[in-house]
Amino acid sequence: MSRLNGQTIAAGVVAVALVILANVTLYQVDQRQQALVVRFGDPVRTVLTPGLHLKTPFETVLKFDRRNIELNANEEEVTAADQERLVVDAFVRYRITDPRQFYRTLGQESVAKDRLESIVNAALREEVGRSNSEDVIAGKRAQVMAAIRARVARQVDASDLGVQIIDVRIKRADLPAPNQQAVFERMQTARKQEAAQLRAIGDQRRREIIATAYEEAENIRGDADAKRAQMFASSFGRDPNFAAFYRSMQAYEASLGKGDTTLVLSPDSAFFRYFEKGPAG
Amino acid sequence: MPGSFYNPAKISSDGKTTPPMPWNDNAGPGPWGSPPPSDGKKDGDRPRSDDPRSGGPRGPGGPPPPVDVNALIERLGQRLRQVFGGPGRSRAVALSAAGVVGLWAVSGFYIVQPKEQAVITTFGAYTRTAGPGLRYHLPYPFEAAELVPVTTFQTLDVGGTASQPIPAERLMLTGDENIVDLSFTVQWHVSDAAKYTFNVREPDTVIKAVAESAMREVIGKTALTPILTNGRGQVQDQTRRLMQQILDRYDIGVFVEGVQIQTATTPAPVLDAYRDVQRATQNAQSAANVAQGEAAQIKQAALGYREQVVREAAGDAARFNQVYEQYKLAPAVTRERLYIETMQRVLANSNKVIIDSKGANAPVILPSDTFRPRTSVPSAAAAEGAVR
Repeated sequence: MSRLNGQTIAAGVVAVALVILANVTLYQVDQRQQALVVRFGDPVRTVLTPGLHLKTPFETVLKFDRRNIELNANEEEVTAADQERLVVDAFVRYRITDPRQFYRTLGQESVAKDRLESIVNAALREEVGRSNSEDVIAGKRAQVMAAIRARVARQVDASDLGVQIIDVRIKRADLPAPNQQAVFERMQTARKQEAAQLRAIGDQRRREIIATAYEEAENIRGDADAKRAQMFASSFGRDPNFAAFYRSMQAYEASLGKGDTTLVLSPDSAFFRYFEKGPAG
Repeated sequence: MPGSFYNPAKISSDGKTTPPMPWNDNAGPGPWGSPPPSDGKKDGDRPRSDDPRSGGPRGPGGPPPPVDVNALIERLGQRLRQVFGGPGRSRAVALSAAGVVGLWAVSGFYIVQPKEQAVITTFGAYTRTAGPGLRYHLPYPFEAAELVPVTTFQTLDVGGTASQPIPAERLMLTGDENIVDLSFTVQWHVSDAAKYTFNVREPDTVIKAVAESAMREVIGKTALTPILTNGRGQVQDQTRRLMQQILDRYDIGVFVEGVQIQTATTPAPVLDAYRDVQRATQNAQSAANVAQGEAAQIKQAALGYREQVVREAAGDAARFNQVYEQYKLAPAVTRERLYIETMQRVLANSNKVIIDSKGANAPVILPSDTFRPRTSVPSAAAAEGAVR
């Protein structure tokens, strides 16, 4: 009985000792991480490969992210070369490439964030300040971003921060609120002018159409009158004398024979020739 | 069963007799009270409402006592000691140890759904990717599995929805210095599970940031009118390609299916002015149409006039020609006849006063009804109609 107890206790002690030893000498580095082994505050070695690693009990392991990390710079109002103000929202993607250097110069990500943010803002101002606003927004946006990226990368390398800049991109480049309002007004007036012009053109077209129509109509009427005159000339014109007589007869009947005329006649009129004078006339 | 409760003394394998110990002594009632007559049932089958302190089973009338945690722990401890301290102890230990190891080993099984892949890490380091089905990995702490949805299409909305727009995300500057109100969605899926899991921190937020940046870059190069009308397809395509380029540079393991513009309009304050332009175009068009109508009418009237005039003239001329032919045959007679016929008809239809002015000296006063218009009296002469 005591022998069993002794064996068990010994086995238990050995097991516990193993576990403690494992805790103190083995450590795991995740695929997303990299490690810096520090002995009494001094960095000793960097561990870039993930997996299970060994260390001595006196060393501690500091872990850093090895992934592509984002830094979102706050919105900055910057002035372009043509004195236009822009509100620029940029983001940076970086990676910790040298944990030892990173630990020495920055220490932790919050410090890195502040430092990088000031570098990025300075680069932004510089590059935007030497470009026209429309280049920043439109034409040369990619080039401006590339220039900012290069500037930031240079600065980071010069400061030896243990960090690699992967990308700097402008997410938004907009006008400040009052300028935006001005753009709205400009768009509105441009549209109003366009509308007025369209209406004016429409009006003019309308008048043209009607004028042309009148011209044609007058031509037609003139043509009609000419044809009539021609017809009369070719018929009535054969004997103008008789035509005058005939036409007058028609005119008398049409105007005086409607029942609303009172004629005061003299018996000398040609109509009454046989009336007074008798059958011989 | 090991450590049987009912044998006070056991003969162990090496010939020694184990004296009855307190935990295997059947003498006193013990904390469970006096045991019931042995009927082969085990302890655990006894109803739990037995109160250990009162001794013996209770009657049906009383309320159950509150659970005494301390007593339960003591019972558990006693049982464990009985199992592991008794003569069958090594077997008990071995079996329970085997059970624990078995459970631990079984924890390595996992199921990968058809739309997923599993990324396996060994001591934190990426070792392999596993496809759909029932899979196995070495249990903790050796290996771990992370499931990643791979073939499901993920959708990302930029600009909010129609009911809850996010103005900051929607207003963008265009290439011709105008502002457009635009919202769009991005469809993407994971193309490489390992890259998606390990290369980039918070990949979903990255995709959104890149989407906004790419779209604004493309919009910044495009004029407003194409964005509103027929240039959308091009904008979508350019944005998709740019996004894929950037994300590939980040090695994020994502494939962008497509970019879809949901709404693209002029911003609200300017909308009215834009609509007015449309209205003006329509007004101009309808004014032109009305004018065309008027023009047609004018021409029509003129044509009608011509038709009428020409016909009348032709008619008059033809009539005269006929009369003239007859006239030529007997001019004086025809003239006389025409005159008399006409005068007959005219006088028949008029009020007449015949005055011989040679004999009159004083003014003649005519009665007023001389001037009253006649109603037309159909006379035989008038019924002849035309002058022949």
